[in-house]
Amino acid sequence: MRPAPAATDTEITVSDAVTFPDGIPGFESCRRFVVLAAEEATPLRRLHAVDGVGASFLAIDPRGVLEGYRCDLTASDRRRLGASNDEPLLWLALVTLEASGALTVNLRAPIVINPRTMTGQQVLPHDCLYPVRHVLLDAE
Amino acid sequence: MLVFTRRRDEAIMIGDGVEVRVLRVGKDGVRLGIVAPPEVRVHRREIYDQIRDANQSAVVQPDHLARVAERFTKAK
Repeated sequence: MRPAPAATDTEITVSDAVTFPDGIPGFESCRRFVVLAAEEATPLRRLHAVDGVGASFLAIDPRGVLEGYRCDLTASDRRRLGASNDEPLLWLALVTLEASGALTVNLRAPIVINPRTMTGQQVLPHDCLYPVRHVLLDAE
Repeated sequence: MLVFTRRRDEAIMIGDGVEVRVLRVGKDGVRLGIVAPPEVRVHRREIYDQIRDANQSAVVQPDHLARVAERFTKAK
């Protein structure tokens, strides 16, 4: 168990499709995603499935949302990502535009991508106490 | 659904690599130990459902990008 790498890794970019061997919960048919640059006028990136149902998500580095954010990867998580202990990884938390107009961030189950192996997964840590809907911007 | 009766310290095998063992039986709950290969992900069902629901509500709809950009512009 190790802490997430320091927030200096936010510049990692992924240009080609990343393989998610299990998809993500609710989108098991989406096995390949591209990570796009920030949307105009926002700090959000776009995670777009290029297969399956073709879902698209907005995402943000959780370490930029909450100071001191840390999420431990298990040895099994690392093995699935093909990641050594000090491998730089890309962390993304999915952002939801709520019906109220609020923007919330899922800090509970971040998406982790290993840019070297181009493999990703959504991790559901057993001992994580961060909220599924952390408010990024309040309701209008 | 396959149904088994198991006592404390008894287990069931699922496939070749997954073992589910009863560690303790209490009044309100049963404590289970699970051994599975690394490629098999094990989660509490309600956590998995919660994340699945959150993912489904996070899907970007056609009007979302403009609304989100507007929120950030206003918040500056």
